[in-house]
Amino acid sequence: MLIPLGYNLRSLWVRRSSTLLTVLGLGATVTIVSAVLALQHGFQSMFTAGGREDLAVFLRPGATNEGDSIFRRDLGARLVNTVGEIVSDAGGPRASMECYLAVLARKLDGGETNVPLRGVQPRTFDLRAGELEIVAGRRFTPGSDEVIVGESLVRRLQNCGLDDVIVLNTTPFRVVGVFRHPGAFASEIWGDLERFMPTLGRYGPNRVIAEVQPGTDFEALSARLEGDKEVPAKVLSEREFLESQTRVFSTALLTLGRVLGLIMGIGAIFAATNTMLASVVARTSEIGILLAMGFRPLPVFVAFQLEALVLGLAGGVVGGLAALSLNGVETGAMNWQTFTEFAFAFRVTPGVLGSAIGFSLVLGLLGGAWPAWRAARMKPTEALRLE
Amino acid sequence: MARLVLQNLLRHPLRSLLTVGAVFIGVFLLCLLLSVVTALNAGVDAASSVRLMVQSSVSLFVALPISYQQRIAQVPGVESVVKWQWFGGYYQDQSNFFAQFAVDPEQQLEVYPELEVAPDVKQRFLARRNACIVGEQLLAQFADEWKVGGTIPLIGALFPHPDGPEVAWQFELAGTYRSTSGALDNRTLFFRWDYFEETTDLEEAGVFVLRVAPGADVSRIMAEIDGLYANGPQKVRTTTEKEFQRQFVTMLGAVPLFVTWIGGGALFAILLACVNTMLMAARQQRHDVGILKALGFTDGAAFRLMLAQSLVLCLLGGLLGVGLGKGTEAAFVTVLGTFFPGYVVTDQTVALGLGTALALGLVAGIVPAWTSARLDVVRALRGT
Repeated sequence: MLIPLGYNLRSLWVRRSSTLLTVLGLGATVTIVSAVLALQHGFQSMFTAGGREDLAVFLRPGATNEGDSIFRRDLGARLVNTVGEIVSDAGGPRASMECYLAVLARKLDGGETNVPLRGVQPRTFDLRAGELEIVAGRRFTPGSDEVIVGESLVRRLQNCGLDDVIVLNTTPFRVVGVFRHPGAFASEIWGDLERFMPTLGRYGPNRVIAEVQPGTDFEALSARLEGDKEVPAKVLSEREFLESQTRVFSTALLTLGRVLGLIMGIGAIFAATNTMLASVVARTSEIGILLAMGFRPLPVFVAFQLEALVLGLAGGVVGGLAALSLNGVETGAMNWQTFTEFAFAFRVTPGVLGSAIGFSLVLGLLGGAWPAWRAARMKPTEALRLE
Repeated sequence: MARLVLQNLLRHPLRSLLTVGAVFIGVFLLCLLLSVVTALNAGVDAASSVRLMVQSSVSLFVALPISYQQRIAQVPGVESVVKWQWFGGYYQDQSNFFAQFAVDPEQQLEVYPELEVAPDVKQRFLARRNACIVGEQLLAQFADEWKVGGTIPLIGALFPHPDGPEVAWQFELAGTYRSTSGALDNRTLFFRWDYFEETTDLEEAGVFVLRVAPGADVSRIMAEIDGLYANGPQKVRTTTEKEFQRQFVTMLGAVPLFVTWIGGGALFAILLACVNTMLMAARQQRHDVGILKALGFTDGAAFRLMLAQSLVLCLLGGLLGVGLGKGTEAAFVTVLGTFFPGYVVTDQTVALGLGTALALGLVAGIVPAWTSARLDVVRALRGT
């Protein structure tokens, strides 16, 4: 026969100051760990948002990111015209060459950061018709010294408002528009490829993007082009490319979350054990009565283990709620692989909340194990004799 | 008094042990986080005041024509100029990450006197075109595979070998260097500019590092160099080494803030655990305190008895935590030195760790100690 849960709940209430301190302690641990997870989630999902399966990214073989990659201008154009998988319409192949550079910029708070600068061809706006939206001003005029900036830069950087001027080397560029994009482009500055290349002393684009026929086998295409004598290139789908750019930072955050979870978790288990132990010791005579009444050791063990689980659950809920208050809070961090800062928000998803509560339950379970074991092993006669 | 403190703590050995354990873990985590912050700031803190950096004013990724080197060297007050180029290659696998730079060998040693190389290593480095030197820690990491006099093959992800992107560059290992200041880490590979230039045919450098004469007017030199190229072709920006290093720290954005939050959260959790323990202890010792007071112990003594228990537990935990932090220093550098070169548990960190433990002890002990001092003998003995 099991001991009613109400007994444990009342007991937690009787020792409410101690219960409260334990729950808050567990909650603090859970908050920190879930905040790191929410950060990783926000980073990963924001960076890869809008990554398309039907869009191919062509890079120099061996390049691990856009900055490393470069094509000669004529060879980039040749690539666009010779790869049969690229979709064409009345305006020619649906493809665009892009140059990319991380430039120094001043933040509104005075610090300095690296911002991605992307030179694109007018065709880009056809390729991105569904994802990119001008929310203020207009597109840049091809051939002119004009740029458009991603929405999230306006709030973070100096000289990124409409009609501001951004000086690149010795050339001033006017900001004529602000655009919205669900993914990492929202942290970039876009201008005309033909103007950026001479300004920045580039001899060719860093990458080529193109819409490809549905069902294109990227691996086969990549294998074919990497061996090409004229224009060797490696090919990834845009989704795959974006994911490859998040691997290092994402893994680092996950590792940080795990290490913190482990270290702080051990501390939390110690604290929970202490609380439960005190509570068991204080109830020695009660436990003696329970055992004398005929309750078996197992139900006693289960009862105390459940009490610890309730503590864990409460800690998880408190911690989860605290973490939830971070949801949507925007922050910026540098993506180590692209060496540029980009804005993203904490995302406390149901998954994050689930792991927070799961983590906290495990802490309660481990913290309660020894005290519950001790309670179950008491001899009724000795327990009752005490006091 | 000391015996009473000890006896009280030993009456619940497991509880004392767990509390010490919690503080120990909290202080250890604090040490770890503080040392990571130290590592992030190492370059800034150790920057030399006689070194200046010249970089493109547009971007760290825009190179400058190497012809700039001579012009800069002619500016009065400039003693020596070395050019640096980030190589961005990898050894065998992309996960084997470490920094590599092409540098002018002789000037590099002039501009960085804290870069110590043995005479025979220096001689080999200056004699062989494809020679390289590596930091001591880096060699230790690859000690099984790299031998002095042997070659280190690196795949040039950023600068593919002219024979093909999968062909490795071959660098002959002249020996190791030891950096005696945080301005340079001990995990970099430096190889010679002439070898880089003849292989790639590139005539551009990432940054120029220069050493100014003692007593020279640094701000005048910086302004003069910036003025040389104010109208192009590539505008430059000259900064002190400190400013240059600081830009990498500010680029980390909110990372130091996160670290602070994490440390704060951990300490908060530990503090609650300690307060809880001490409250429990105080409840259980009510009867004893009553007896002591009946025997003539003063309120002050009761106060000190309780506070001392809290302090002993927390300080013990603090000592262990700081000890583990210091003890794992070397292991941390071996495992994560790539990301945090210059990771070191400084004396300040140790002091701060112990100070935090002391503060924890005081805060956790103060309320129970106060209650204990105010305790009425009769009520304590009656158990109400």
